[in-house]
Amino acid sequence: MATSTETLSRSTSPRIVFDFNQFIRDHVTASWYLTVWLLILSLLTVFYAVQQFRIAPVTTLIVTIVWIASLISVVVGELQHKHTKASRWLHQSLFGSISNSLITLLLALAILAALRGIWDYAVVRATFDPTITAPEFRTPVTGASWGVIWGARKLLTTGTLEPDNLWRVWASLWFIVGLSVISAFAYRPPLRERIKPLRYTLSTVWLLSPLILFILLAGLDGTGPFLSIQTLVMGEVVVLAIYGLLYWQRVVKFQWQSFAIWVFAWPALYLAWRLAARTELFPVINVEKWGGFLFTMIVSVFAIVASFPLGVALALGRRSTVRGIPAWITWPVAIGVTTWGLFTSTPGLLNEARNNIEKLIAFWPLLILLLTYAFQRFFKGNVVAAASTVYIEVVRGVPLITVLFMAIIMAPLFFPAGFQVKNAWAVLIAFSLFTAAYLAENVRGGLQSIPKGQYEAADAIGLNTLQKMRFIILPQALRAVIPAIVGLFIGVFKDSSLVAVVGLFDMLGITNAIIGNPQWLGLRTELYLFASIIYFIGSFAMSSYSRRLETRLGVGVR
Amino acid sequence: MAQASTRPSIQEPPRIPFWRDVRVLGVLGQITFIIVVFLAAQTILGNFAQNVGRLGEAQFICRDGSYNVRCAYDFMSSEAAFEISETIADFNVTDSYWFAFYMGILNTLKVAVIGIILTTLLGTFAGIARLSNNWLISNIVKWYIEIIRNTPLLIQLFFLYFSVILSLPPVAEAIRPFNFDIYLTQRGLSIPWPSLTPSFSTWLAFVVLGIIQFQVLWILLGRREEHTGHPSNRLGWGLLSFVVVLGMGWFVSVGASDNQGIMVTRASRIRELKDVESIVLTRTGVNHLDELNHLTEEELNAAAINICVLRDSPSEANLSSQLRQMNIPHTFNRSDRPDQATSKFAEGTCEIFAAPSTVLAAERATLENPDSNLILTVQEKPVVWNTPKREGLNIAGGAKLSPEFTALLVGLVVYTSAFIAEIVRAGILSVSKGQTEAARALGLNESQRLQLIILPQALRVIIPPLTSQYLNLTKNSSLAIAIGFPDLWSVSYTTINQSGRAIQLIIVVMLTYLTMSLITSAVLNWYNSRVALVER
Repeated sequence: MATSTETLSRSTSPRIVFDFNQFIRDHVTASWYLTVWLLILSLLTVFYAVQQFRIAPVTTLIVTIVWIASLISVVVGELQHKHTKASRWLHQSLFGSISNSLITLLLALAILAALRGIWDYAVVRATFDPTITAPEFRTPVTGASWGVIWGARKLLTTGTLEPDNLWRVWASLWFIVGLSVISAFAYRPPLRERIKPLRYTLSTVWLLSPLILFILLAGLDGTGPFLSIQTLVMGEVVVLAIYGLLYWQRVVKFQWQSFAIWVFAWPALYLAWRLAARTELFPVINVEKWGGFLFTMIVSVFAIVASFPLGVALALGRRSTVRGIPAWITWPVAIGVTTWGLFTSTPGLLNEARNNIEKLIAFWPLLILLLTYAFQRFFKGNVVAAASTVYIEVVRGVPLITVLFMAIIMAPLFFPAGFQVKNAWAVLIAFSLFTAAYLAENVRGGLQSIPKGQYEAADAIGLNTLQKMRFIILPQALRAVIPAIVGLFIGVFKDSSLVAVVGLFDMLGITNAIIGNPQWLGLRTELYLFASIIYFIGSFAMSSYSRRLETRLGVGVR
Repeated sequence: MAQASTRPSIQEPPRIPFWRDVRVLGVLGQITFIIVVFLAAQTILGNFAQNVGRLGEAQFICRDGSYNVRCAYDFMSSEAAFEISETIADFNVTDSYWFAFYMGILNTLKVAVIGIILTTLLGTFAGIARLSNNWLISNIVKWYIEIIRNTPLLIQLFFLYFSVILSLPPVAEAIRPFNFDIYLTQRGLSIPWPSLTPSFSTWLAFVVLGIIQFQVLWILLGRREEHTGHPSNRLGWGLLSFVVVLGMGWFVSVGASDNQGIMVTRASRIRELKDVESIVLTRTGVNHLDELNHLTEEELNAAAINICVLRDSPSEANLSSQLRQMNIPHTFNRSDRPDQATSKFAEGTCEIFAAPSTVLAAERATLENPDSNLILTVQEKPVVWNTPKREGLNIAGGAKLSPEFTALLVGLVVYTSAFIAEIVRAGILSVSKGQTEAARALGLNESQRLQLIILPQALRVIIPPLTSQYLNLTKNSSLAIAIGFPDLWSVSYTTINQSGRAIQLIIVVMLTYLTMSLITSAVLNWYNSRVALVER
């Protein structure tokens, strides 16, 4: 049997069966537009190859020879019906048809030309010495002056932050890196159960990390409204109220240890805060001095972390199924208010109206009826859902840049007179409020992905709303949206560059400032490329991570 | 006895006490919510009102000098007193803030509409190319998508504007790719653009007629197809009839129009447009126009026919295209008003005055001796290809795209296309292979497969995320302020700085963007509901 197959293969394989006319009929003259296309493509390729040969003979020749060699190997493989691994791959992915082969050559030459240009600009003609970046050292033929990046490294990383405070940036960096590394080990499955106390400590440190980072990066003020006794009492009341609610709704069980933690957490924090402020180890940093990559990170991390509570609340609010205010309450109230408005305000406005538009505006109370109709029709009287939906849709409907400008222009108007709000804080808060709307939509997606059965099962075993959310829905929903939140974080990381437009010095803002410095005048391309590379590395790493996470969490796979 | 009384009877379910009634709790909770929101709003708005009060009554000044909240927007009708670098309609510094705002909206819409069209094309192309079986193509597109998606749009815009467009050569050394009539300079991009002459309206009627005829043929042939079962080339016949009607219309409108004219002196011996040929020949001393190519540029300029025209008039484009066809060298002397052109013509600065015939007739009457001048009718084409041309340190003719507009448009198109490419790719991949195979088994050809099987199913997946990308593009166009393109937000910001009325402007801007977003999503939702899968 073995011999028969051998003879069979021997008898068929060496014979080359190739009908040239058939080949032409199939691959060239199959239709008139194929012929025309091939003609145009081959002419283009030849012209381009000749042009490239004139510019750079050696590389063009090498590419063309490699191309011809691969083509021959593919053709031989095809004719003999016997491919090597390499020639099969070449056939499948580069030399599938005549036009594919031509496109391969054309693109290879084009890529080569582009790479040559980049190489020429970035390496061959470039200078790397930070001391010769000023305009007088540049000639029309010099390429990139990469020295600027080393020369301006301080500005690019931390902006105009005083050197005295640099250690605090390093401390925060090491704090985060150290915490992440320890957590990466402590949360591993085998260690997870064995060192429970360490895990609890770590969780607490993570919870407190925003505060620690705030102390490190923004500093503490020994005086100020936040340190009054009022703050202590108010905070304690809020904490106890939350505990009471959770206990009432049976989300937490009463235990002396946990109760003690709840009661003493706030005073302890408050005390620690005061003591830290008294040591004057962490004087207040002027937030306008934050800059460079540091500020980019502050903006993006702050926006994502600060928007999280509001985002989750908005998502839950939008999906809330609380029975709304019934129509028999809303309509009488609305009609009453409208009538009152029509009788008290409209006649006066009508009398004073100067044009038709103002006459129309005089009938503003009718708008109440319209809003009431929409409120009852779309939200069935549910105030929470209506408020959340309107917030989300309005914020998502306007551009971020207008929100940031609005924060800077209008923030002073919302605070009591004499209260100075720094631009950086205004932008941070506005950015978080903006991000919250997008985060809410992501979380809502997660909530929607939970099968209805989960809600029904939770209802069936008699859980109340808070318990249902805390123990059944949110753990699943939030886990499902982690990839989406990483995606949102990428967006926030990129969009944080917009703060440069409102005059803050993040990575891009400081870049624009560096360009204006006489020493580095006009080195735009280098700095923009550098900034893009930094953003690219960050975003690309995160998106790869999110893709891996997606497969690991099995999102969308059931 | 106590037990018996507390036991609930079967007929009457126990009354839930009101503090545990979900309905009551819900309403109470919402009322608390309203009160909390109201109190918070009161605190903030109280501060707000106080601060606005401190800003002074000047915010609410009326035209008669009194102060009233009603007059918050009165300042918008006063003189804007700032320039807008590019507008669609004519805008002067004396126009009102409202008009400036309107110009801003138009500019935003211009960027958004053109951008959406181009980005859809580029994105679809990239998405399909991403699926190419050529390894090189799909990888190039993959890295294009990754690089564009993972870097901030603002840096891309800055890079495009400052590092690419503003470092292009000056007009004198304009880049002309492949020697086409496209001029790339640091002052922007000039491209050929069709210019519409008055007789276009005649031709437009034929275009409409052609479209109707196309529709009628499409329906009739479709019916026949259904009736006989023979497939017919509906598209081919429809297009053929459309082109025939269009061609007929072209000849009719060219023949019937006598809108365009030129004014020449009797002494010039020009009796029809062709006669300029002999004038040029005698000036240059050559026997045939083809020999003009051997002359130097100075010689050609010396022999060129000098023509007076009105700035940006279709007459110029019309005459220029005809003279270029005849290979006659000519230069244009542009004036802003007809009387300026007439006086130039009277002085002898130019040999020909080209304008609409009615204008010429009126202008000839103002000359000292009208009878020594002739008005000749010039053939007018409904659409003239207006090509840009370098004249000294300027580029005349064609459509000019300013550096800011070019950077913004290209930046937005490229950025959004990377996202659309991924959407298109996912949409195509979502149609299972079995669908293609089944369609092939039914004997559908490739275009039918694409048109009837693949696209309808892919579109269902593509449309919703595509909508949000279109909205993103529109919103991202507000980054124009970073590179100085006068879009809606940029103009409003100038207004805020100049008038000091931040609140009023921000309210209007937010409402405008919201309206745009809502309209776009409403239209696309409507379209989506049409293509969406109808489930049971």
